[in-house]
Amino acid sequence: MAPAHASNIAMTIVIALLAAPVLAEDIGARLAEAEDLRQKAAEAGYEWLETAALLEQAREEAEKGSLDNAIALIEKARLQAEAALTQAEREAEAWRSRVVR
Amino acid sequence: MAAFLAALSLPCTAFAGPEEDRLAFVSFFQSRFPDILFDEFANGIYAIDADSRAQWLEIEEFPPYEFAIEHGQSLWQKPFSNGSAYADCFKQPLAEVRAAYPAFDAGRAEVVTLEVAINDCRVANDETPFAYDASELIDLTAYLGYTARGKKIDVQIPADEPGALAAYEYGKRFYYSKRGQLNFACADCHVTSVGMRVRADRLSASLGHPTHFPVYRSKLGGMISLQQRFFGCVRDVRARPFELQSTEYRNLEFFLAYMSNGLTINGPGARK
Repeated sequence: MAPAHASNIAMTIVIALLAAPVLAEDIGARLAEAEDLRQKAAEAGYEWLETAALLEQAREEAEKGSLDNAIALIEKARLQAEAALTQAEREAEAWRSRVVR
Repeated sequence: MAAFLAALSLPCTAFAGPEEDRLAFVSFFQSRFPDILFDEFANGIYAIDADSRAQWLEIEEFPPYEFAIEHGQSLWQKPFSNGSAYADCFKQPLAEVRAAYPAFDAGRAEVVTLEVAINDCRVANDETPFAYDASELIDLTAYLGYTARGKKIDVQIPADEPGALAAYEYGKRFYYSKRGQLNFACADCHVTSVGMRVRADRLSASLGHPTHFPVYRSKLGGMISLQQRFFGCVRDVRARPFELQSTEYRNLEFFLAYMSNGLTINGPGARK
């Protein structure tokens, strides 16, 4: 059995890794992914109103070094873009059910 | 065989022709408002909301769109730098110009609206085209709407012109598709919920929407085009609006105008 202080050290390392500051490269990758989804929603004609503005705000926050704020904004934009794409996919057929007959 | 059976099972209304669509559209609103005559739908919300109608009738005693008509008339009559004028671009008599649009132009394979036709005229005469939200352009359409009062909306979809039918179907699909963060279709407000309240206002019927634009909007203190109203509705359901005179809005206007065939042009109008 490992001594108690060893498991405490391991737990400390795990906590430290989880709390590690987000790297700038990670922000860039997240931004690119969300922007790609936004563009796909726009191409489908279903982009939501705020998505582009959220990504722009995220870029500004990242430039200021407010990485946590940037990530929260990117996540919001990504979820919006995904929902818009789901909407586009659903409406490809769903609109027919609403035609006045 | 499976595909054939699948096709048979699809809702037939989605594939109905434009005239079947229009008759069903008109029938829906007449059933929903049995006391309102067909021609009354040209008055938009004022056909179905008595309180708003009373206010509107008072507003019409001194119409806020009169300045737009006068300005539009002066612009229409002012020759271009080359000596030609707007009237030289349009083959119809003045009173029939408005009713000729929107129309499908087979040569260009797209819907041409009155605003686009005016700008085409300007470009053909070496003038700079107007921005599609320019007051000059909207006032020109106000004047043309005024001169066309009493004419009927008569959008044509020739049977031998598949491009026109495709544009109509595109507009129809746009109209019935939910979009934006609020997940609303045009039809959700102006068909399904027509006459119901959204805060202090009642939702108008889509039947008749195209007859009275451009309109003077009291809340904005100025004139707006039908497509500016599309822009506002799309933004209001929290979708990113399309550009004015985009393919999306031109085709939507084409579909909506066809739905209002037979109604009387009564623009420009006044709205809250």
